Amino acid sequence: MIQVIHAQDILKDLEAITVEDSLPTIATFKGTHISIGHSVETRKKGVLEISSMNRFWNRPVPDTERVQTFAADKWNSRVGVDYGISDRFTVGAGYGTGYRSIDVFGKYRLFYQRDSGAKFPFSITLFQGGVYRGKSSFKGILYTDEAMTTKRDVPSENKFATTTQLLIARKFSRNFSFQIAPTYVFRAEDKLVDDASPHHFAVGFGARYKVSNHVSIVSEYYYVLKPVDFVDTYGPFSLGANWEVSNLLLQFKLTNARNLVEDKYIIKTENNFNFRDGNLHFGFHATYFIQL
Amino acid sequence: MNKLLLLFFTIYGVGLVHAQDQYITRQGEVTFFSYTSVENIQATNNQVASILYPSSNKIGVQILMRAFTFEKSLMYEHFNESYIESDLYPKATFQGVIVDFDPTQEGTQTRIIKGDFKLRGITKPVEFKAMIVKSDNIYSISGALDVSIKDYEIKVPPILSPNIAKNVQVSFKFQYAPNDNQK
Repeated sequence: MIQVIHAQDILKDLEAITVEDSLPTIATFKGTHISIGHSVETRKKGVLEISSMNRFWNRPVPDTERVQTFAADKWNSRVGVDYGISDRFTVGAGYGTGYRSIDVFGKYRLFYQRDSGAKFPFSITLFQGGVYRGKSSFKGILYTDEAMTTKRDVPSENKFATTTQLLIARKFSRNFSFQIAPTYVFRAEDKLVDDASPHHFAVGFGARYKVSNHVSIVSEYYYVLKPVDFVDTYGPFSLGANWEVSNLLLQFKLTNARNLVEDKYIIKTENNFNFRDGNLHFGFHATYFIQL
Repeated sequence: MNKLLLLFFTIYGVGLVHAQDQYITRQGEVTFFSYTSVENIQATNNQVASILYPSSNKIGVQILMRAFTFEKSLMYEHFNESYIESDLYPKATFQGVIVDFDPTQEGTQTRIIKGDFKLRGITKPVEFKAMIVKSDNIYSISGALDVSIKDYEIKVPPILSPNIAKNVQVSFKFQYAPNDNQK
C-alpha cells in the first residue's frame, strides 16, 4: 500500500514526460569567418556586428631601402558591418582600404545540422558576395605603353567581381568542425586581358579545433581549380587562433593572403605561404557584437 | 462474497489513488539572474518538466539547458558552449522532498524543500523555501534559491569574472496537474 519512490524512478518518470526536441547544433564555428573566409555561421535576428580586418606584412626589399610604418611595411584593412535580418539570413557590407573597395554580401542558412530528433548531418549556407574596386590592382595591363608611364582608364564595368559559395560544414565533435566550400568567382577585371577568362573555380577547406572554452585554433586553405590565366597564383592558406572575450571576437592569423574580399584572396593571391618577407602576412580581425 | 467485494474495491480504490499520485508539468518556468555592476544576465526556460508525488511529498525536476532563452543570442551561445557545456551535460535535475508537506491542505503553505541538485554532472545538496498553493486539484509551487557557480565548477575566465555573478539567483514556478497518462 505504501508507495516507495526511489530516486531512479523519479528520473525515469521525468524522462517519460519529456519530449525530445530536434535542436540545431550550435557554434560550428565561432564567428561568421573561420579565419580568412566565411563560415556557415549566420547571425541571429537583430544582431549587428562591426568588424575590422587587417593584414600586415613586410616588403621584400633590402633593409637599407626599407621604409617601415607602424610595425610593418604594408597594411591592408577592411571595416565592415554584418546584420542578421532573420536567424537564417545575414547581410553585410564593407570598405577596404587596399583598392578602395566596397563590398556587399548576403548569406542564407539553408540547413542546420541536427544531432538529435530528426537528424541532419551538415550545416549548409549559401553565400553571395559582390565587390566594386575604385582602384584597379592590375600591374601589367594598367599602362598603355611599355615604359609604364601612361595609366589607362579601367572601365567601371571591369571593376566588379562576384563570389558565390556553397558552405558545407559539420561539427564532428564539441571541439572539431570542418567545412568544405565549393566556390565560383567572376572577376570582370580579368576581361581586360585578351583571351583571359573571368570565370574561376576553387574549393575551400576550413577547420577549427577548440583548445579551451574560449580559444580555438583554426586553419583554412583554398584549392584553386581554375586560376587566372595571366599571372601565377597560389592557394590562400591561413593558420590562426580565435579568442572570444564576451562581446568581442579576436582572430589572429598567419597567412599568405593579403586581400580581404573573397574574389581576390581566393583567386588572386600571388605569393606562396612561407616565412619570407612579402609572403608572410600577419592578420588580425576584431568583431564586436551588438544586439539591437 | 462481501469480503471479496470489499477486497476488490480496496484494490480498485488503491489503483485510483495510484493514478492520482503523479502531478506533472511540462511547462514549468525556471529563470536565472546574474547581477553584477558590469552586466546583468537573465534567462528563462519555460519548458521545464517536473513531477510532484503528493503521497510521498517527493518532487523531481528536469531542466533542458538548451531551452533557456536569452535576450542576446551571443549569451545563449556562450552559456551553452563555454559555461554550462550543454553538449556534455544537456540536463540539470533536482530530486527532493517537501518537508512537512500536507497535500490535502487547500490554499497556501510555505515549506522547505530539501534535495539534490545536479548540474554539469555535479550533485550538491540544496535547501530552499517554496510556496505551495493547492486549488481545484492543481498544485502550484514557486520559490527561489541561490546557486554558487563555484559549486558546479562553472569556469569563468579571469578577464570576464566581473561580468558574471558568483551566486546566480534561480527562481521557479511550476503548476502541476494530475498525470492522466501515467503507466
